[in-house]
Amino acid sequence: MNSFWHKQREGLITLVLLSPGLAGFFGLFFYPMLLTVILSFRPEGREVGWTLAHYARFLGDPAFRDVLGLTFSLAVGATVFSVLLSLPLALVLREKPKGNRLFRLSILLPMMMPHLISALGLLLFWSKRGWANLFLLTVLPFLKEPVAVNYTIPGLILFYVWLFYPYTCLTTLASLEALDRSIEEAAEVAGANRLRVLWHIVLPLIRPGVLAGSVLTFMMAFGAFSVPLVTGGNYRPLSVQIFTQATLYLEWSAASAMAVVMAMAQVTFLTIYMRVLRRPIA
Amino acid sequence: MMCAMTLVRQYARSVLSAKTLLVYSFLLGFLLYMVTPFLIIFFNSFGKGWYGMRWLPQEWTLNWYQWAIEVADIPEIMKNTLVIAGIAVVISTLIALPTGWALGRRHIPGKELLTALILLPRMIPAITFALGVAKIFYGLHLVDTFLGVALAHVALAAPYAILVLSATFESLDERVLEASAVCGASPAQGFFYVILPLILPGILSSIIFTFTTSYNEFTMTLMTYGPHTVTLPVRTYLAVGEGYWEVSSAMAVILIIPSLFILFLIQRQLQPEKLVGGFKGV
Amino acid sequence: MSDYMIEFVNVTKRYGDIVANEHITLQIKRGELMTLLGPSGCGKTTALRCLTGHNHPDEGRIFIDGQDVTDLPTYKRNLGMVFQNFALFPHMTAFENVEFPLRIRGLSQSERREKVVEALKLVRLEGYGSHFPRQLSGGQQQRIGLARALVYRPSVLLLDEPLSNLDAKLREEMRFEIKDLQVRLGITAVYVTHDQEEALALSDRVAIMNKGRIEQVGTPEEIYERPGSQFVADFIGLSNFLEGTVTAVEGETTYLAVDNLSLGLATTAGARVGQRVLAFVRPNEVELAAPGTMSGPEVLEGVVEKMTYLGDKVDYRLRLGDRLMLRVQSGGTVRFKAGERVAVRLPMERCRVIGGGKA
Ligand SMILES: Nc1ncnc2c1ncn2[C@@H]1O[C@H](COP(=O)(O)OP(=O)(O)OP(=O)(O)O)[C@@H](O)[C@H]1O
Ligand SMILES: [Mg+2]
Repeated sequence: MNSFWHKQREGLITLVLLSPGLAGFFGLFFYPMLLTVILSFRPEGREVGWTLAHYARFLGDPAFRDVLGLTFSLAVGATVFSVLLSLPLALVLREKPKGNRLFRLSILLPMMMPHLISALGLLLFWSKRGWANLFLLTVLPFLKEPVAVNYTIPGLILFYVWLFYPYTCLTTLASLEALDRSIEEAAEVAGANRLRVLWHIVLPLIRPGVLAGSVLTFMMAFGAFSVPLVTGGNYRPLSVQIFTQATLYLEWSAASAMAVVMAMAQVTFLTIYMRVLRRPIA
Repeated sequence: MMCAMTLVRQYARSVLSAKTLLVYSFLLGFLLYMVTPFLIIFFNSFGKGWYGMRWLPQEWTLNWYQWAIEVADIPEIMKNTLVIAGIAVVISTLIALPTGWALGRRHIPGKELLTALILLPRMIPAITFALGVAKIFYGLHLVDTFLGVALAHVALAAPYAILVLSATFESLDERVLEASAVCGASPAQGFFYVILPLILPGILSSIIFTFTTSYNEFTMTLMTYGPHTVTLPVRTYLAVGEGYWEVSSAMAVILIIPSLFILFLIQRQLQPEKLVGGFKGV
Repeated sequence: MSDYMIEFVNVTKRYGDIVANEHITLQIKRGELMTLLGPSGCGKTTALRCLTGHNHPDEGRIFIDGQDVTDLPTYKRNLGMVFQNFALFPHMTAFENVEFPLRIRGLSQSERREKVVEALKLVRLEGYGSHFPRQLSGGQQQRIGLARALVYRPSVLLLDEPLSNLDAKLREEMRFEIKDLQVRLGITAVYVTHDQEEALALSDRVAIMNKGRIEQVGTPEEIYERPGSQFVADFIGLSNFLEGTVTAVEGETTYLAVDNLSLGLATTAGARVGQRVLAFVRPNEVELAAPGTMSGPEVLEGVVEKMTYLGDKVDYRLRLGDRLMLRVQSGGTVRFKAGERVAVRLPMERCRVIGGGKA
């Protein structure tokens, strides 16, 4: 009897301690999300009635389907190139070359700096009159015109890679450093050259880590907002479209429908990420 | 025979150095790729008549900073930003202290799921629930108030504070407290001499990160700000939109300072891999 | 071309200020099992890694089968190696692990299959091909490691403390299995260990290493019976050291003053009066008797300070004269108790001089 009450009291204390966090979660995330879901089923500008029109329009209208297509292409492109950049980088940094700390720190720059500022810097750097083009025009004699990067899709992917590859790179580096060197040495003694050790031993062993990192990069690219807002020009991925739909066209219900789709997609990716992370090696 | 030997050795050595050269040019290129956007912002904010197509401005000036201060009213905006960040830090910490304690030290069924839920706002694009937050805040007349914008920031800052503090509290060793009691410390003395020094770094790092989150926050602010609550990131965004690149650069340099400070702290102690799970750029 | 399978010629390897290998010169014959034995940190692994090519020596050359391999990358050296922590590929089954070197060498599938099956049979793990390393016990993992190292018939087999992660009983079992395989295949092997018992049981020859240098190379018997230095005598088995000055040489007998005692030794060539000499005797070679029952120049008298009963033998610590402590082990029952006086005979032929002692 006594222990029963004791248990009840302990539970109550826990609940009281948790309540500020729960209040914050429900008030600032859950309830707004719920409201967004409800709004997405309301006719535009009304507080009553139910409709699926916004979803139908969002998924049916080619212009809106293009938005989804763009969002996915950007995210996939960013992920692929992030892996291509991260693998050699992580392989080199793993050997702890001189200046290793500086290089590792610079990986963190995109994660730590406000994306808005990174976007500004990228726009300046890649503009037709910026350093990137100045450099290219200097070293490539056959190049007569500056290359257009800003406000193009390849440019956006380039920016996305800059912003979001650290997630892939850091997880790749972490899984590389968790590898037991003697396994690679064993393969080398057995007659495998560097490339074959990489292909047959290292890559299969770090695959789960690289995969987890890629999913993270993909999620970040999929949800990116401030960067495409500033650097996208006429290209508006989902997040920017939601913002424009709500604040420019004042179509809150349509925007809400998109937000719901986006949130559900992101939760799906999150679930995949959790699965990938927890999968044991081999 | 001997001669061939030395030849082979020399060749091996030259291959080796060619490889190092390759590695270092790759790393150097990477470093430049990472830092040039910030460098160019920096030069742009001090350069006069620098329309690109040159490596550096020909003349230097402080005009843009003067502009930012006098025309764009940066002191007022800085005040807004700091007040909002201050409120956000206080609310987040007040939420995170009890909740973090409960999550870190008390028995909670389904703790893992609860933690995941609380972290959800950080893992899902802010724009998806920013709509709902804005909608609610319009109803409560919280839009364009310091408290309102700060509360919107809390949605993103509190989960991180809870994560950091629960980890801090969890790592508190019960035996240390018992040891202090055995040594004859009263509960109050135990708290001030034993617990506080142990949890202070955690609380401090939680405060620093919540502050930076709020200071750099853009998405939620964009949905809840008004003429009286323009923050530094929003003002920078507006300046970019207006096409004042140099003034935007000057603002960006001001905006970047806390992030640089954090980067400095990180390079002194944290392992970057730890950031991947919980921390997301703004 | 060369009688030796492996030759280290004057190999030096430094890590910053640490000299891990200092002027190592060592020849290993074809089909021989050579053990590198020495205390922890003496440079055994470093020497082995110079051989595999994972370390590049700062000085000196290394030859395998007469070929200078110093600048040859690891994968071209045709070596087989067994690792202390097994180093199996965790994402491959036992079969695939053993198959890996064959796949790298581009053998056809049927050839690979045949050789892997044979290798698995060699290490008595026929039925375990489909198991992943984590599904195997430590001993089984190490046997897979052995199979992987042998399946392509490398010119040399290297083993770096292959048994130290196994429990004591398994260790002894595996020791004989490895020796048996090595003899059966007639393969040259280099075995690294810090376990002297293992080294003596397995090796054709042993190289004793100390602080990056090779102290002595010889058969286990030579190493045990005729250690070349105090370090070797001390490291291999138990030893009592007797340091003194030669007082007289009388034919077969040399008289040595140890502290204030006089001891007779068998005369060695070149012994002269006044020379400082270091001699040693193993605890189980000393004879004990009741005082007054033995006599001769090699007999001394002492007191039992401490007696420890060890089951199959008894361990005595004796004090001779004022300071000289002597450890004696004798089989059988307890014959003397602490505090008793005993006569001690240090047999002349067992009491050997080490390299002339300190000059
Ligand atoms: N990569 C390295 N960097 C710096 N010093 C090293 C390195 N590897 C070995 N050493 C040093 O070189 C010396 C010899 O090391 P080595 O590993 O060869 O010893 P070992 O005889 O194999 O010892 P053990 O029996 O403990 O394995 C040691 O002092 C060690 O600290
Ligand atoms: Mg070793």
